[in-house]
Amino acid sequence: MNDAQLISRVIAGDRLAGRELYDAHAPRVYSLVFRMSGDADKARELTQDTFIRAFSRLAQFRGDAALSTWLHRIAVTVVSNSRRKEIRFRREVSLDEARSVAAFEGRSDPDLKQSIDRAIENLSDAYRTTLIMHDVEGYTHAEIAEVLGVPEGTCKSRLSAARAQLREALAAYKE
Amino acid sequence: MEDKRFDEVIAELPSTFRPVGEAPYDEMWKNIEAAHFDAQAARATSRGRVLGVLPWLAAAATLLIGIAIGRNTASKHSADAGSSTLASAAATSSQPTAQPSADAYRDETTRYFEQVTGLLIALPNPTGPDRFASAAGNSRLAGKASDLLVTTRLLLDSPAAQDPKLHGLLDDLELVLAQIARLKGERSKSDLDLIQQAVEQGDVMSRLTSAVATNPSAD
Repeated sequence: MNDAQLISRVIAGDRLAGRELYDAHAPRVYSLVFRMSGDADKARELTQDTFIRAFSRLAQFRGDAALSTWLHRIAVTVVSNSRRKEIRFRREVSLDEARSVAAFEGRSDPDLKQSIDRAIENLSDAYRTTLIMHDVEGYTHAEIAEVLGVPEGTCKSRLSAARAQLREALAAYKE
Repeated sequence: MEDKRFDEVIAELPSTFRPVGEAPYDEMWKNIEAAHFDAQAARATSRGRVLGVLPWLAAAATLLIGIAIGRNTASKHSADAGSSTLASAAATSSQPTAQPSADAYRDETTRYFEQVTGLLIALPNPTGPDRFASAAGNSRLAGKASDLLVTTRLLLDSPAAQDPKLHGLLDDLELVLAQIARLKGERSKSDLDLIQQAVEQGDVMSRLTSAVATNPSAD
């Protein structure tokens, strides 16, 4: 069954078609969402949200892009929205809590892996998403450009800037 | 860090940066299925049920509205009788009945909108510290939502829903209230997120506020 047939059956309420569509795309969506969120529980919830949102909007899918591109676009939006909500919530923590978090974050960390994690986390949304999609998940520039709705050139320059910032953050490591 | 080492770090990222473990795909599917397909089926069933009992429902609704109108008109008449002249009482009684009927629907709809707004405001923020409320609190919210769901369906089949804007709002509220009515026991962040998304995506709160403002009580 091709994507178009699957889509029309899902819109008609066919659960088996829904499961087939989910099975075909869930692993890659989950992987992207997990790498972007860094937490298994959160990745599970956000993957579910991605598919629930996708199914409810399937009638609006015009087929201009591949279904996978459309799904990944929803996934990136769901993760970004969740991240924004978290940041807003974190701003509401008390000053004391904020101080203790800052003190913890300020400690020197000898673990390169943790430093890479933190450096990627500190990148801007656009840089982090581009770097994770390209260097971690293996998307091509063309695919990223389509998912994020930006020109391919923008994608390349974002990746280059993200790598430069990462290199700067890891400059202290000599190994 | 030297260039060569940095290139190695980048090349190793797929295996070193947050390695992806096995995900509970079946469990996730069950939640997706419940949130999308079960809700869709419940919606279709309730529509079917409403259509099936429509004549009875219409009769019951008419009776209820009739009683409300009767009370409304009677209280107005008795108030008028105490303070007005015979001429003004005659003028009141000769007004067409369509006006009180429209007022009754408008009153009922406004009261309903206010109750739904109160319920949505009482709903905790999914990222807030109060997101894990007691099971009793969840049941209370779910019970209130169930009651309002019945009113929503009655209003959807009443003349109040003839306005396409109001009909659209009632449709969206039906979905949101059905989600809240399903909250049982420990509320999960995912449930609240879904409800909040439905509220945000449909711009429900501002539409409700605007509906209350443009549909004031007939008092």
